[in-house]
Amino acid sequence: MEVLQNDKILKVAIDAEIYPEVVLLKCLYWYSNTFEVDVRKSSTSQYEISLKAIRHPDKVDWAIILLKLKQDLIDFKLRQHITDETKTIRELIIAKAFIYYDQQEGPVSEITDPVGFNPQSVKV
Amino acid sequence: MITVDSSPYSNSRKFKEFSHYIASPQRYYLLPFKFHRLSPGKEVIVNEIGDLLVIPMGTTGRIVAGEINPDNISDQELFADLIANFFISVTPLPELIEVLATRYRTKKSFLDYFTSLHIFVISLRCEHTCHYCQVSRVTSDKNKYDMKRFHIDAGIAIMMKSPNPHVTMEFQGGEALLAFESIVYAVEKTKIEAEKHNKKVTYVICTNLALLTDEMIQFFFNNGILISTSLDGPAFIHNRNRHKPHASSHQLVVEGIERCRQRLGEEGISALVTTTALSLEHPEEIVDEYVRLGFHNIFLRPISPYGFATRSTDKNKYETARFLDFYKKALARIIQYNLDGYFIREDYASIILKKMLTPFPVGYVDLQSPAGLVNNVVVFNYDGAIYASDEARMLAEMNDLTFKLGTLGEDTYEEIFYGNKVSTLSEVMINEALPGCSECAFQSYCGADPVFNHTTQGDLVGHRPTSAFCERNMEIIRYLILTMDEDKKKEKIFRSWITGKS
Ligand code: SF4
Repeated sequence: MEVLQNDKILKVAIDAEIYPEVVLLKCLYWYSNTFEVDVRKSSTSQYEISLKAIRHPDKVDWAIILLKLKQDLIDFKLRQHITDETKTIRELIIAKAFIYYDQQEGPVSEITDPVGFNPQSVKV
Repeated sequence: MITVDSSPYSNSRKFKEFSHYIASPQRYYLLPFKFHRLSPGKEVIVNEIGDLLVIPMGTTGRIVAGEINPDNISDQELFADLIANFFISVTPLPELIEVLATRYRTKKSFLDYFTSLHIFVISLRCEHTCHYCQVSRVTSDKNKYDMKRFHIDAGIAIMMKSPNPHVTMEFQGGEALLAFESIVYAVEKTKIEAEKHNKKVTYVICTNLALLTDEMIQFFFNNGILISTSLDGPAFIHNRNRHKPHASSHQLVVEGIERCRQRLGEEGISALVTTTALSLEHPEEIVDEYVRLGFHNIFLRPISPYGFATRSTDKNKYETARFLDFYKKALARIIQYNLDGYFIREDYASIILKKMLTPFPVGYVDLQSPAGLVNNVVVFNYDGAIYASDEARMLAEMNDLTFKLGTLGEDTYEEIFYGNKVSTLSEVMINEALPGCSECAFQSYCGADPVFNHTTQGDLVGHRPTSAFCERNMEIIRYLILTMDEDKKKEKIFRSWITGKS
């Protein structure tokens, strides 16, 4: 991971083999509250991402941001791995759950939105 | 390893002897789950049906890498927990997939019956002049601001068409009791129609109790009507929030609660807190007031976006942080009361805890996926307009008709509930399919709220990184899980909130 940084911007070159586009986008989505995020493909095997602070650029501690970014990339890669590996089983669970329509006799609350009522006297 | 005994089934699931797994050539296959970092040393994994397990940081990586080895003594308990709670399976297709599917269905069973809560805004008139209320009208113009009889009739007809055999008819205002004759008319008419349509109806009136009379109480008693009032805390908070010319709103509500309790019983009346800027400075005092008045629950409702949240990201972030600070302080006070032997439950936490610790869904509109609007609730406004939720009609008072579904007496049930508007909305009502939420471990405890997104961000899909709804729920859920994990006494209290037994 190559890093280029000045006071205003953090640029990171990312190996596209390790972090595919879907992982990058899901991860960087959560940076879009405080940073202007840019992702471009710099070569066939590399993405370049840049983060520019939307507000108070002078207060950004880039070392912390970089550490968090590295951690988040790994987290989102893990998430993607789980999502990909379990996609079929997830679809199967949902399909099986709804395929036979059979109304369930769940515990029905006495009132639709039981919030606010005495928990010791209203069944929720 | 530290685990939360999250599932009511963990002791009862069919379980094989340990040797079975040790003998397996392929150790395990992953089942769908998500994870979230809880604290520097802990993370939580949550499966497709909302069962959770708190594990040491880095464990998810090991699970995904296939490193949990039941041959290692140190991994045996974790391996067993992962199997028992449907995080991994020793066969590509889990043997208990039918159980998983049934439990998934149960979690979504609130969809089975469709709309239950029918809110009738019986009058927009109010005798209070609350500073945060942009909706009510201080006026005696009944003609303009009370619901007309033909609109009431049309609303009842729609309610009777709901596939749900058990519906709730809730009267709101303004101040609902200003239109008491309309309520009497609506209840009497509904009783006849319910008999014809074989429906069970629960009646709720939301009122500030200032206009309560003995005749009204008798009517509530005769018809099993539940009363939902507002109590914002001690007098200095309540009266500041709810200004009533020449009277103490607090005194009126406290007296009203007492009178209702005497006739309707404790269970006949509930109270809700509206959080304002002033309330945020007094979490403990608000809880103390509820205990003083003998309540056994308190609902620390998040701040409505109409008073606080604006489209300014910085301001929203600040307000959310303040609310979370307030919430945690109040929760600590509530827990302390329970530790001292007084049972009192916080309702927002209880909704989330019930989703975490039981297989059942909760009928709370704001924390559902698919969203509660339309599926659970519909609002008939005083002027005949139909809205997808209570917040949607408040939005309409600000001339935003995005969530208007139709008009009473003009549109058919099918046009209202299955029309283009609802069909468009349904695309943004499922948090499993929303950006950010789709990967979130707290998805099954949280919900989708397109009205909030639209109000605060001008976009039905919403932007989770800047969403006050997301920030608030993510932190409350994280905090509740961590609290349970760190302190078993508090976990016990949380569990008692779900069962209602101290
Ligand atoms: S709103 Fe936030 S906390 Fe809730 S499911 Fe979505 S991402 Fe998770």
